[in-house]
Amino acid sequence: MTRRQTITGLISMVVAFVLFVVPFLFVLINASKTAQDASQLDFSWPERWVFWENLVTTVQTRDYALLLAYWNSIVITVGAITLLVIFGAMVGYIVQRRPNRVTRIVYIITLSGLMIPPAVVPTIWLLQEINLFKTLHGMIFIQVAYGLGFTVLLYRNFIGTIPRELDEAAIIDGAKPWQVFFRVVLPLLKPVTVTIIVVQSITIFNDFTHPLYYLPGRDNITVQLTLYNFQSQFVSQMNLLFMNIMLITIPPLLVFIFFNRQIVAGMTSGAVKG
Amino acid sequence: MSAQARKSPYPYWFVLPAGLIFVIFFLVPTVTSFYFSLTYWDPFEARFAGWDNYVQFFSEPYLIQGTVNTLIFAFLTSGLKTALGLLLAVLLTSGMLGQSLLRSIIFFPVLVSTIGVGILFKEMMHPTDGFLNIVLDSIGLSKVGFLTNPSLALFSVALVDVWRGVGLATLIYIAGLATIGQEYYEAARIDGATRWQQFWRVTVPLVRPATTTVIILSLIGGLRLFDLIWAMTGGGPGFSSDVLASVIYKQYQAGFWGLSTAGNVILFLMIAFIVAPLAYWLNRRAIDA
Amino acid sequence: MSRVQLKELRKSFGAVDVIKGVDLTIEPGEFCVFVGPSGCGKSTLLRMISGLEEQTSGVIEINGRDVSNVEPSERGIAMVFQNYALYPHLSVRENIGFGLSLARKPKTEIAQKVGKVAEILQLSDYLDRKPKELSGGQRQRVAIGRAIVRDPEVFLFDEPLSNLDAALRSQMRIELTDLHARLGATMIYVTHDQVEAMTMADKIVVLNGGRVEQVGSPMELYERPASPFVAEFIGSPKMNLYEGAVAQQLGANHAYGIRPEHLSVSETKGKWPVTVRHVERLGADTIVHLENDELGTIVARVEGSRAFRIGDKAFATPDPAREVRF
Repeated sequence: MTRRQTITGLISMVVAFVLFVVPFLFVLINASKTAQDASQLDFSWPERWVFWENLVTTVQTRDYALLLAYWNSIVITVGAITLLVIFGAMVGYIVQRRPNRVTRIVYIITLSGLMIPPAVVPTIWLLQEINLFKTLHGMIFIQVAYGLGFTVLLYRNFIGTIPRELDEAAIIDGAKPWQVFFRVVLPLLKPVTVTIIVVQSITIFNDFTHPLYYLPGRDNITVQLTLYNFQSQFVSQMNLLFMNIMLITIPPLLVFIFFNRQIVAGMTSGAVKG
Repeated sequence: MSAQARKSPYPYWFVLPAGLIFVIFFLVPTVTSFYFSLTYWDPFEARFAGWDNYVQFFSEPYLIQGTVNTLIFAFLTSGLKTALGLLLAVLLTSGMLGQSLLRSIIFFPVLVSTIGVGILFKEMMHPTDGFLNIVLDSIGLSKVGFLTNPSLALFSVALVDVWRGVGLATLIYIAGLATIGQEYYEAARIDGATRWQQFWRVTVPLVRPATTTVIILSLIGGLRLFDLIWAMTGGGPGFSSDVLASVIYKQYQAGFWGLSTAGNVILFLMIAFIVAPLAYWLNRRAIDA
Repeated sequence: MSRVQLKELRKSFGAVDVIKGVDLTIEPGEFCVFVGPSGCGKSTLLRMISGLEEQTSGVIEINGRDVSNVEPSERGIAMVFQNYALYPHLSVRENIGFGLSLARKPKTEIAQKVGKVAEILQLSDYLDRKPKELSGGQRQRVAIGRAIVRDPEVFLFDEPLSNLDAALRSQMRIELTDLHARLGATMIYVTHDQVEAMTMADKIVVLNGGRVEQVGSPMELYERPASPFVAEFIGSPKMNLYEGAVAQQLGANHAYGIRPEHLSVSETKGKWPVTVRHVERLGADTIVHLENDELGTIVARVEGSRAFRIGDKAFATPDPAREVRF
C-alpha cells in the first residue's frame, strides 16, 4: 500500500467517522442517559448509565406497545415475503421461459410497479370495500403487490442462468409443469431467494408510509409507527425516544452484519445490468 | 396427420396468484385514481367535479409550493447523490486503507429506518439545543434554524436524504466501476492522460449504465419521498417544505379525498413524463456511445 | 428394442423450413447416427422424435405406435443431453431415480433399479455425491444411467461427447459402443463429428439443410457417396472435389472427386504435374497440399516417412478404381 493510499484512507476514515458514525453514537449515548440528561441533546457523557432501565421502560410503554408492534411488523414481513418469493418466482419463471408478446406485457406491467406511486386514497377505499382495511392480511397483500416489481426482476434475470435442458430432462422424466418448477427450478434459485428475503425484509420492516395509511389504530400498529407516535409520548423523555430508535435499528444492523454480501448483490443486481 | 397444439410446460396460470394480488391491490387503485381525481370526495359525499381539483392544485399557493418543492427536492437530491456517489465510488475503489470498512459505513444508513433517521436529525438540528447548533455556536458561528427557517427547511431535509442515500448510489457505482477493464486506463496513460482526464474520458463514459440507474432510482425516490419530510418537518414550517407526498397525506387527513387523489395523479404524471423519457434518452445515448 | 419410423416429417419456425420432409426407418437395435453441419436440422429432428419439439406435419412411430402427439415422458424414449442436464441439487442416486420418484414408485423399487444401473455403469461408489463433485466422464455416465433406468424403447443422444476433451472422448466412444452391444437397444445419436459417426454407427443419416442426403452404413457412405456434399463431409482430410469444365474433362457431369489417401505422389512421373505448397508431417502420415495449374489445389496423403519441401516439383496420380464421379 502506497503512502498516498494510507493517508487518504486515514483521512477518509476520520471524515466518515464524523459524518456517519457520530450520529449513531449520539443515539447510543443519549439512549443511555436519564431523562434529564438527555434533554440537553448534546454529546456529554451520561451521568449515570441507565441503558438497561431505559430499554425496559421503553418496551413497557403503553402496555408493551413496542412488543405488539414488533410482532405485527414481523407477521407482515414474514407473510409478505413468503408470498413474494413463491408467486414472484413463478412469474419470473414464465416471463423468462416463455418469451412472447403476452409475457412481455406482463413483465412491463410488473416493472411499472417500481415507478408508479401507489394511489393511496383509492387503495383505502378498495380495502374498505373488501373489509381488509386496518388488517394485517390487507397489509401483507399490499406489500406483496408493491414488492413484486423488484422480485420478478431479480428472479427473471437469475432464471436466465438456469439451462432449459434441466426443464427438458425433467419433462422427459415425466414431470408436470408445476413439478418442473417446484422440484427442479425453485431449489436452484436459493441464492437469489436469499437476496430477496434479505432486501425485502429490510424494506418492509422499515416501511412507514404504507402502514400509516393502511393500518391506523392501535391494534395492528407497526414498529415504525410506534416510533413516530412515541414522539409526543416521550417529549420530555428524549432518552427513551433514542432508545426506541436504537431498538428499531438493531434488526437491520444484524441482518446487515450477517448478510452483507446478499444485500449488496441484491441492490446492485437489478441495477447495473442496464 | 397435423400436430395439435400441445400444452406448454410453462403454463400461463403460473402468473395468476401474483397477477391477482397485483391487479387488485395496485392496478385497480391506480386506474380508479384517475376517476376519483375528478370528483369532490369527502366523508359525506362524492360527486363528479371535473377539473376542479386540478385547478385548485395550480391556484392555491400551498399546493403549488408542494408541487414545486417536489421537483426541487428530487432533482437536488438526485444530482447530489449521482455526483457524490461516483466520487465516493472512485475513492473507495482506489485501494486505500480501510476501504471495505468505509463502504459498509456509508452504506449502513440506507438500511436504517427512515423515521429513525428523521427523528435523530430533527433533534440534532434543533434550533437552539440541537447538537449541530451547539457545534456551530462553539466555533463562533450563529445558530441556524435548519428546520425552523422556511427558506432552509426543505434543503435541510434534502441534505439528510443525501446523507442517507448516497451509500446506495456509491454501491451501484462500485459495481459499475468493476466492469471497466484496466486496459482502458492503461491505454489512456500511455496516451499521456492525467488522472483527472482519465476520470472524465474513461471512467465517466464507461460507467454510464450505473449512472443511468442511479439517476433514475434517486429521481423516482426523490419525487415520491414522504417519510423523511413527515418525520422532520411535517411539511412545515407552514408549508415551506411540503412535497406532493405530504400534500397528499394532509389532504387525506383533512377529508379532501378527491383533492388528495388528484395530487397522486399529478405525482404519477410527473414521474411518467420526467422519468420515462429520461430513462429512454439516457439508454439511447448509452447505445450510441 | 424398437423400430422407429418417420414419415414425411416437417418442421417450420414461422416462414423458415427447418426440416423439409424426412422419411426414415431405424431398425430395432440399430445404432443410428444423425450427422451433418451446424444448422442442418439434426438436433431438431432428434427433439421431434423425443417430443420436446412439436413437428409441423408428419408422423412419428415408435414400435408401431403413433406417438406424434404423445407427451415425451410417455413415448418410451430417454434422452442424454449435450450438457448432461443433471439436477445440480440432487445426488447421483436421486438424479437417476428422479423419474421413478415422480411416478411415485415405492422406495424399495427405486433403490433396486438405481442400484442395478449404477453397477452397470460403475457408479456404485458415487451414488451419494452431487454432480459438481464428479468428473466429466462420471457425469456423462450418470446422464446415461438416468436414461437406462427408464427402460426405454429408444435411446436418444444429443451430441453427448462435444463437451469432453479429446482423450476422454475416444474413451467414451468405446464405452458407448460397448453399452450398445450389451443392452442391444435402439439408439439414435446426433453429432457433427464425422469420426464419431464413422466409428460408432450401424447406420449413418447425413443431413443437409433439413433434408436427408444419404442413409447407409459407414463404409457405404465412404465408398459410394450419393452426392458431392456427402463425399466431402465423410473422411478426413476431405475429399478433393472439382466441378465445372475441369470435372467434365475428367469424365464427370457435375463433379469429380478423389480422396487424399487414394492419390500417389511421385517425384518423377504421374498424371498431374504439381508444385508442393504446404506440408504437414503427422508422423504416421504426411499430408501435402499440391498445386496444379488446371485443378488448383490437390491434397494428398502419403506415408509418414516421406518428406517434401515447399516448392518441390512432383506428380500426383489418382487410383482409377477409387475415383468418384457425379
